[in-house]
Amino acid sequence: MQVTPSQGRPRRIIKVGLLLALLSAILATVCAGAGRAEDTHTAAVSQRDVQAKLTYCEVCHGPSARGFVGYYPIPRLAGQQPEYLTNQLQAFVERRRVNPIMFSVGHVLSPAMIAGLAANFHDLNPKPLGGAPKELVPAGKKIFEEGIPAANVPACASCHGPEAKGNGPFPRLAGQLFDYVSNKLTNWDKERGQNPAKPDTSAIMEPIAHGLTAPQIKAVAAYLSYLE
Amino acid sequence: MRVVGTQLALQIAILAVVFTGTGRADDVQAKIGYCKDCHGPSAQGYRGFFPIPRLAGQQPEYLENQLRAFIEHRRTNNIMFNVAHTLSPGMIAALAAQFRQLNPKPIGGAPKQLVATGKKIFEDGMPDINIAACAACHGPDATGSGQIPRLAGQLYPYVIKELTNWGKERGQNPAKPDTSAIMSPVAHSLNKSQIEAVAAFVSSLN
Repeated sequence: MQVTPSQGRPRRIIKVGLLLALLSAILATVCAGAGRAEDTHTAAVSQRDVQAKLTYCEVCHGPSARGFVGYYPIPRLAGQQPEYLTNQLQAFVERRRVNPIMFSVGHVLSPAMIAGLAANFHDLNPKPLGGAPKELVPAGKKIFEEGIPAANVPACASCHGPEAKGNGPFPRLAGQLFDYVSNKLTNWDKERGQNPAKPDTSAIMEPIAHGLTAPQIKAVAAYLSYLE
Repeated sequence: MRVVGTQLALQIAILAVVFTGTGRADDVQAKIGYCKDCHGPSAQGYRGFFPIPRLAGQQPEYLENQLRAFIEHRRTNNIMFNVAHTLSPGMIAALAAQFRQLNPKPIGGAPKQLVATGKKIFEDGMPDINIAACAACHGPDATGSGQIPRLAGQLYPYVIKELTNWGKERGQNPAKPDTSAIMSPVAHSLNKSQIEAVAAFVSSLN
């Protein structure tokens, strides 16, 4: 039996109404879920998944993400600035920062997962791993606080903060591994800023890393590695 | 009576020299010969009733840690406890240094078709299911570093056994957690076929 327009309209209204009700119910559930989460960014990933991923990160980055000296020195992530962490993960994925292992790790992470991880890492606060030559620390402290004007190297503290805790895009350096800081400063432009068409914040550090001599790098790295 | 007393004193003195010193060269050689009875003529490992691991080329720090773990029953193995608890610290260090220098070809024998998958897991991990890349800590050639063991050329059945039974053999003293804890989540998250693949790959490495 043909449905005339006048007969069909109430049915269509009912259908649309039901569809809207269904959509509203779904939206309400999702939003309620988001409201329960600590941060609306993590609404799309469960706390259980974030915890599982954190445990996985800690296999290499060490208990409480304090860092680990494996075959390579694997950096401390505990207490790191979330904006810096997020930027680095993005750089790994886009291969602006080259590291095959971190590319593999990073490219499966959703934005919500990255946000969840960064927030969790920021709250961790284990003691520094330590182990650097203590006799280098005073020279490192001087460089950190005053820079090396003769070599146009600014004081690290001016961007990284007086306690090397970092801020926003500037990373925390306090408690970072001695071997890791030494390696990074020595090899800055071999690993970072690898896409000349897409320059990034790593460009800031290039002249600084370049301007430091090897003993100065070791001194600063030693100083930073003991900071809490 | 006095003669017997002097002989006993002499024997004790000799034993004291052997077991407390830094290990005289011929004692170390004798001990290494003894290790090789089970671990193979060049410590390449041996498939006995149990798979007995390759010690050739092993990281000295790792070897010393394991011997200590056997002695303290943090890693349970009755045979290795018996072997290890008579070793002086000087002897342990000398043995570890000697094993490091050995470099026989791997025994091999793993199923070749598993190697490609194992290589992928080893180099990249499986990040979507939270399995870390072995290479990140063990190095791209699986040679290890410091406390992290060399896996290159390790016996296929031994690696399978260790990964499968990790929590049953290692870290047995909850009051004294040790470096074995690092591997616990990794061993736990690998399934049987992934373990076999990784084991096949590392056993093929030179």
